[in-house]
This record gives sequence, structure tokens and C-alpha cells, in this order.
Amino acid sequence: MLKNKEAKRSAKPRRAKTPEASFLGALYQQQSFKYRLAQGFGVLFVVSLVLQAWAFANVFSDMALHQSFSLSLLFIGLFALLLRALANFARERICTSASRDIRYGLRSKLVSHLTELGPARLRIEEDAALSTRVYEQVDALDDFFSRYKPQVFMVLLIPCVILLSVVSISWIAFFVFMLTAPLVIVFMIFVGYKAAQANRRQFSVLAMLSNQFMDLSQGLAELKRLGRTDEARDRLSYSAESYQKTTMGVLVLAFLSTATLELFASLSIAMIALYLGLGLLESLPWQEGSSPVNLTQAMFLLLLAPEFYLPLRQLGNDYHAKQKAEAAATDLLEILNTGQSDKAEPVSSLSVTISDINKEAFLSLRKVSWLEAGRHRLAPISADVLKGQRVWLSGESGVGKSSLLHLLLGFEESYQGDFYIKGRPFSEIHLSEWRTQLAWLPQTPEWVSGSIKRNLLLGIEPPSDEVLREALQKSQCDEFIEALPNGLETSLTELGSGLSGGQMQRLSIARALLSEADVWLLDEPCSGLDTETAEAVLSTLDKVSQGKTLLIVSHDTHPIMWADKHWAMTKEGLYEKDL
Amino acid sequence: MKKTSKLTLKRLLLANPWGLALPVLVGTIASLSGIALLGVSGWFITGAGLATAIGANLVFNYLTPGAIVRGLSIFRTAGRYGEQVSSHNHLLGLLKTLRLWVWDQRVAKDAANLYEQTRGDLLQRLVSDLDQVMRWPLVVFLPWIYAFFSYFAVGIFAYFLSPDLMLPMAIAALLHIIVVPYVCGQFSSHQVHIGQILGVHRRSRFVSLFSALITLTIRGHWKDYAKRLGQLDERQRLTEIRIQNTVSTGRFFVYMVTILLIAISMYLMSDMDPSTGRLVLLEGIQGTWVVGFVLCLLALNELMLPLVQSFVAQGQSQVGLRRLNQLHHVSGAHSDTLFHSDTTMQAGVTTMTFEHWRGYHASSGMGNTPLDLSIKSGDTLWIRGSSGSGKSTLLASIAGDCLSTGRAMINGDACEPYDNALYQKQLSYLPQHPYIFQQSIAANLRMGCPEANEAELWSVLEAVSLADWVESLPGKLETLLSSQGRNLSGGQRKRLALARLLLRKAPVLLLDEPFDGLDKATIEVLCQSLQNDYKPEILVLVSHIESRIGDSARVVML
Repeated sequence: MLKNKEAKRSAKPRRAKTPEASFLGALYQQQSFKYRLAQGFGVLFVVSLVLQAWAFANVFSDMALHQSFSLSLLFIGLFALLLRALANFARERICTSASRDIRYGLRSKLVSHLTELGPARLRIEEDAALSTRVYEQVDALDDFFSRYKPQVFMVLLIPCVILLSVVSISWIAFFVFMLTAPLVIVFMIFVGYKAAQANRRQFSVLAMLSNQFMDLSQGLAELKRLGRTDEARDRLSYSAESYQKTTMGVLVLAFLSTATLELFASLSIAMIALYLGLGLLESLPWQEGSSPVNLTQAMFLLLLAPEFYLPLRQLGNDYHAKQKAEAAATDLLEILNTGQSDKAEPVSSLSVTISDINKEAFLSLRKVSWLEAGRHRLAPISADVLKGQRVWLSGESGVGKSSLLHLLLGFEESYQGDFYIKGRPFSEIHLSEWRTQLAWLPQTPEWVSGSIKRNLLLGIEPPSDEVLREALQKSQCDEFIEALPNGLETSLTELGSGLSGGQMQRLSIARALLSEADVWLLDEPCSGLDTETAEAVLSTLDKVSQGKTLLIVSHDTHPIMWADKHWAMTKEGLYEKDL
Repeated sequence: MKKTSKLTLKRLLLANPWGLALPVLVGTIASLSGIALLGVSGWFITGAGLATAIGANLVFNYLTPGAIVRGLSIFRTAGRYGEQVSSHNHLLGLLKTLRLWVWDQRVAKDAANLYEQTRGDLLQRLVSDLDQVMRWPLVVFLPWIYAFFSYFAVGIFAYFLSPDLMLPMAIAALLHIIVVPYVCGQFSSHQVHIGQILGVHRRSRFVSLFSALITLTIRGHWKDYAKRLGQLDERQRLTEIRIQNTVSTGRFFVYMVTILLIAISMYLMSDMDPSTGRLVLLEGIQGTWVVGFVLCLLALNELMLPLVQSFVAQGQSQVGLRRLNQLHHVSGAHSDTLFHSDTTMQAGVTTMTFEHWRGYHASSGMGNTPLDLSIKSGDTLWIRGSSGSGKSTLLASIAGDCLSTGRAMINGDACEPYDNALYQKQLSYLPQHPYIFQQSIAANLRMGCPEANEAELWSVLEAVSLADWVESLPGKLETLLSSQGRNLSGGQRKRLALARLLLRKAPVLLLDEPFDGLDKATIEVLCQSLQNDYKPEILVLVSHIESRIGDSARVVML
């Protein structure tokens, strides 16, 4: 076995591995001890299989020929069966536990990676879809690690052991096995491929059908208003029926190929049975009058024959587990690979001499840029912000406005150039200290589920009622909060509790006020609001943010007339514009 | 399946009994053939060996058993194939039935409660629940039926061999088919349920935490929250361990029962010969038959193993069912009392009066301050007010889309607008965020009026100033719109929905901010259409933007 492995290992580099396969391989290696233990139980399983066949063959032939049998042999046979059950039990437990360790370890790795990515995670996908990857897609690896991988070993082991135990008894049976096994394997690959194709097609059609169902369901209110629910029902019914027809067409073929394989296996068994039967009757054409095997040996071969083909067929059934895992691995690798290349080297090109820095400035940017995959996510910019200055950032989408804010939040480390806070390089500043000075108001306000109050006081010392009331008043939240039946105790769920976008933004303003942060970073706080609400929110912002250092990203459609500076960003860099 | 009935597993079986009968029949034949194949070939080989031993090998009829073996193996393969095909066909039929059931339940929900469960991931769950429930007959019911019939057949064989075997056979059957799967199922169903709840909880916490990631990080609180997420994951892992251990243990018990059954059967069929220490078969019991019998028991064991796992699937189906049944709509009494305004509205709407009227949201209770409104045919009404004054809520309550208090009179008769299909037939309501379906532009428009011809579609697109844009698309009217109209701008989406409404030609038109995000020229085109070709009898407008329609309208300030 060891030699075999070494041979394999040396053969590995020659075969080009897909990143998915090597990812799964590395995960498998993590639990190599458990898998080796499982293989040990696999060996026990095969040994008891052969032992059981041998004991039962003896019992059966004695029973047929002499109407009596040895108690100890029956006992051995039943004991072997029990051993088989135990070995199976142990294998299952070990493999499922290995798979669990792999999956739960991977999951916590993914979550912490996503945390480090911060806002960059949204470049992969939105949060709900990421949660699907972290939970469902990771669990999709289960069948691969708990069944497919261990089964691959058994597929090699069982036929080999059976061949070994058969060779001394009957050359002919040995050759029948030897000749049919490769054929079964070839068939299986062919069938597996066919079935996978059919599966894929079926899945894509099923996905389309689900999509249609989702679409109509989401628009149900609209359909009801239009009075078209019956038409939609007819559509659902029609497409389900046509799906049934086309899928059955595919499945009839896919199952046919499985059936052919099954028939092939049974034919091989029948061939062996016929040979044994005729041999026992001494009627083989080339060996009339003598028997090549005795009854015990014949029974032994007959009992082993189905076991020879069984693991191959099981592997065929589990084949889709491999494909499912590889598809999931693609999605998971995307998460793990994001941000890794970026972290290459934070080039601190000290091209700027210290004298260049405006010591008065709160924030100085010197040729700060951000290259990703050879493309400027942020063109080099140099600018200063004084303490208490309010800056409006505008520009087309994709020029790096948000990236600049993410950089200031401390989530991006892979920028080029230098930037200084109060004359000190950013890299020297203690990140958590810097972050306590920040307030963050993104396009969609950030909320955890819980009461309004809990959200407002997230991570700060509970202030006096007076302070709280003042903050609510300033942000003009007091009116609508009083109107709520539960006031500040109203819980905010993902659904938002019927508060409008403008009201949610006002709550964010209240939270920023309560945190007493000096630096406010706002990323398009008004883009989801209608013009009227946006204007009202902006004017509130004007009133409450005086004296704060503030960077606000906003499109030209929502101009920030009260800002001290207007930075227009383009693909080439940053221009200061007149207000 | 009746539209209004609750979903149960029994109902699932009876949905299409003949469709299910076929896989049951074919699958049973396949399973029995599989068992018989092993039994007969064991008997055949030993019989042949015995014949040679007693010198009767030349007269031994090997043709008939040979033919039987061949026939059985063909039956087994063909039967398995037929079972797979017919059961999948049945499953796909169920998919349709279940989807339509869910659809009916959702249609029966009234407007304010409709969006309790409409968020994308909830719907996604609904779809996966359906798949879970749909698989039930295939992975639970059918294997169980096959196991039952196989035990029955082997039991008959055992009776002919020795009637004494009946008792152990019956006990083993009871254990194999009912007790072990039931205990495993019972235990795992509880765990599956906990796991399902934990899973939902875990996911919503993930989404909730990650959507506040930056705030939590800059406030230095992320670690605590992340830890709690980890704890949920740990609990999920525990339930998973329990379920998997239940399955493994269940399988082990199946083996144990088989081993005991074989041991007891052998004991019952033989006597100890003290002189040789061997067991001798009782008088009248053929050794070759016993061989066949034991082989049948071993084959039976293989059929029993999947049962354990299938009853975990049973747990999953039950959880899925329970969740689907939460959709189940108990048809309320309110719908019957509303229809007396039936005749009055046939001629259209001439007057609408609202007294002390207040619309409000069910979840927050927020809405407009109560007011009186009187609208008659030919009126144009412009509802204005500051942000948050409840303009949209008022309009939605007039449209019968959200809850309200007060009295409404249509054509002089009392009427409850909320969720009243007859009333809603008379009006077209453009909400703030209308829904665009993932269909072609033409199909989206024809939802307003299925009979509309192409010229009518173009003219209504002209009326909302979208004709040029549609003309510029490669697929023109047949262009497929992406999910929720994501490839449209907000203004385009709204105008497309307006065009759909205009095609309906309902007498009352209620528009919520139709001009938001549009330039002056486009607003002018819309006003032109609404005042001429597509002029409704009554127009109620909520807008904060000045327009020509607004100038000539009666203004209601909130």
C-alpha cells in the first residue's frame, strides 16, 4: 500500500490539477490521520467479508451434502457479519467526523477572512449570497468528504482482495473478474459522464423553473392589483408540465445507461454462476466428467461475485458528490482568493520628503493610489483636509470614491503612496484608536437586529437620557420615534420595521452624534432616497456636522452645497472644484 | 388536491394514486426478483453439487433453474429501471401540484400580510422546502413499501420451509420495518427540526452582523459578535453529530437483527448431534432450501439498510411540511361581506367618499392623520405634504393595498377597499416601487391587457416616453428584462409599470410619485398623455414635483 502511494505521489505533478481539485485535496490532507484510520477499518471490513464468504460457503455445502453443519463455522460466519457491521459503523463515524472537522474549520476560516476583507467582500457578492456560500456551499462538500473520498479507497481495495482470494481457487473465475472489471470501470466513467450531463441540464431547467416561481411570487402583489393571478397560475402549471416532459426525456436515457451497467454486472455474475453450475454437474464442454471446483469453493465464489461489483456501482452513485463539491469549491475559492493578491506589499515609497507634508492638515494624502490587477482602482491623488473641513467627493462610479473611504476606514492595506493623519504616517497609527474617532454612514445604514436603542448605543458607553434626547432631536428622529408604539424599544429587523429610508438615515445620524466621533465618512447616504427626502436629510446633516471633519461621497444629483471643498474625482486623479 | 386543504404526507400520496401505483408495482417486482435471484442461485448451485455427489448429475435438470435465474436477473434490472423512470415521473408531477398549492396559499393571503414572507431568501427557502417535501415518496415511502413486500414474500417462503420460523420472522420484520426506523426517525426528526431552526437563525445573524460589519469593527465590538456566530455554528455541529450517529447506530442495529434472525432460524431448523458436535437439520427440511433461505435473508438485509436513512429524510420532509403549512391560509370570513357593492360598481366609479379616513402600516402602525375626502368622476387630485406625512400610505389605503380605519363609500354605497378584488378591478395603482417581471417587455405590458396588439403597445410606450428606448434595444418589444428589472433605471422601471397600468384603462388611476427622477420634458409627455389619450375618470396623484397636471388639480395638503 505504501509503495502504491509513493508511486501515486510521484505521478501527481505530471497531471495538471485544477485549483478546485488541489483545494479539496489540501482539505483532505488536513484529516489524513482520520482517513487512514478509516482505511484501517476498511481493511477489516474486507477481511471479514472474505471470512464470512468462506465460513458460509462451508456451512452451505455441508448443509446441502450432509444435511448437517458445523456450529463453529456458522458462528464464525455470523461473527464475520457482525465484524463487517462494526467496521462499517466505525468507518462511517470516522469519515463523518473528518468531514465535519474539515467543513466547520473551513467555515470559520471563511468567516474570519470575510471579516478581514471588510467592505471589499461586497466585490464578491452581497451578504445574503455570501451567507449561502458560507453555509450551504460548505455543507455541499459533505458527501464528497464523508462518502466519495473513503469510497475511492474501498473501490481499489475490495476488488483487489477478492481477486487475491479467488486466484488460488479458480483461474477461470479470476479471469472473468479481471476482464470484466475494467469494462465495468469504463462503462461507469461513460455512464457517470452521461448522468452528470443529464443532471446538469436538469438542474439548469429546475433553476429556471424556481426562478420563474420566485419572480411571480415576488410580484404577487402587482399581479393581484392587475387581477392576473389566474394567468400566472396557468403559466406555472404549464411550465411545470413541460419541464416534466423534457426532464423525463433526459432521465429515460440517463437511467437506461445505469441499467445497462447493472445488467452488465448481473451478466458477469450469471456467467460465473453458469460456469460453477455446469462445472459442479461435470458438464463443462472442455472438462466433461470432472469438476474444476468443489461445492464449497463454488459457494465461496458465488458469494463473493456480487461483492466484487458492488463498490463500483456505489461509487457511480456517489459520483455526483464529486461534481457538487467541485462546483462548491469554485465558489469558496473565489472568497479565499479575494484580497490575497492585493496584500502583496504595501509599497511605502518614501518618495515624499517629510517637509512636503502640511503639518497643519488633519489628513494629508500624497500620491495615494491603489492598483489592482494592473488597473487603477484609485488614481494617484494628493490632497489635504484641515480639521473641521467638510469635503464633498463626486465623480463617476468606479473612480474609487468608495475605495478612498475604505482606505480611511483601515480595511485596505494595499495602497501605494503615503497618507498621514495629523502629520503621522497612517501605518504607524494604532488602527483601533483611529477607528474610535470615526463615524460611518453608508448608502444602506448598518443595523444589527435588536431595538433602536441598542443600535444607537452600539459600542459606546450609555449616555445620559439628556444626551440621547438631544441627539435624537438634532437628527430629527424624535418625532417619528415618539409615534412608534414601542418608541426606542421598537426592534429593528432585517425588514426595517416599516421605517422609511430617510428615517433610517436619520437614525444613523443620531448614532454618529452619540458616538462623538470627530471624523465622519459618508458613502452616498442619499442615493436610495427620493429627491425631497434626500434634501431634508442633507440639510439635517449640514446642521449637525458643523465642526466635524467630514468626507461625503455624493453624486451630482445630490449636490452638497454646504461643503467647504468639492473634490471631483476622475480616472486621472482629483480636481478641486469651486462650489 | 384541493386548493384550500392543508398539506399532509398522506395527501401527498393520494395526490396522484395511479401515478404512484406504477413505481410501487414495478419496484416491488424488482426488489423481489433481487432477493429471489440470490436465493434461487444459491439453491441451484448447492442442488447441482448435491446431484453430482449422489451421482444424479446427468439427469439434473439445470435448464429450468438456469432460465429462472436469467429471467430474474432481467426482471431485476428492468424493474429497477422502470421504477426509477416511473417514480421520477411521479415526483415531477408532485412538483407541479406542490408549486401550485404554495401559489394558491400565497394568492389567498391579503395584501398587508403578503410580504411577511416575501424576502428573497425566505422564498428561496420555500423552494428548497418544496424540494425536500417532494422527495418524500421517493426516498421514504417507496423503500419502505419494498421492504414490507419483500419481508412478506420471504415470510411465505419461510412458512413452507418450517412454520416455526414465522415467529422470529415476524419479530425481525417488526424491528426492521417499524421499530428501528421509527426510533431513528423520531430522534432525528427532533434534531432535524432544531438544526433547521438553528440554520435559519445562524443565517439571519450572519446577514445581520455582516451588514453592520464596519460599524461593529470601528466600535471594537466585532469579536464578541463573531464569537456568538461561532457558538451557533458549534450548536449546529452538535445536532449534525447526533443525526449522523443516529443513522450509523440504526444501521448497526439492522445488521444485529439480521444476524440474530439467521442464528435463531438455524437453531430452530436443526438439532444438536452430541456425538459429532454438529448441527443436524430437522427431518423434512432440505439443506439446499435452507441455503436459499439464508441467502434471501442476507439480501433482505441490504434492502433494510436504506430505511434508517430514509427516516431521517422523513424528519426533513416533516419540517419542510410544517413550514409550508405556515403559509396555509385559513380563509377568513371578511371576504363574503364585501361583495354587495358588486352591482354598484359595474357601471364604473362615479363617486368616492372617504370619511375620517386613515391608512396605516400593519407592522409599525404609522400612517396619515385621519381626513375626509370626496372625489367624483372627472376629478384630478394632488396629494402633497412633507416627507413622512403619510401620503403614500394614504394612497395605498385608497388602493386597498394597506390597512385603514374610517368609512369608504363608492357610488354612495359602503365599501371596504382593503383586499377587495372587485373594487381593485376598477382602479390602477402605481406604487412607489412597482414590480417588473422577468419576462419580455411585451409580456410585462400585456399583464395590463392580454389582448393588446403590437400597435397598442407601441402607442402606450410612446405615451410614457419609452418608445425610443425600446426601439433602440436589439430585441425591441421581445427584450427580456432581468430579475426585478435590474437593468432598468428607476425612472424607466416606473414608466414601464405606468404603461402597463394605462393599458388597463381602469376608471380610477392612483399614482405614487410618478415623476421622481424624470427630466422636465419627460414629465411633460406624461402629463400630456394623462390629460388626453389615457385620461382616467379619476386621477389621484402623490408627488412633490410640480407638473402641469398638478397645476389644474385639486390639492390636498397633509
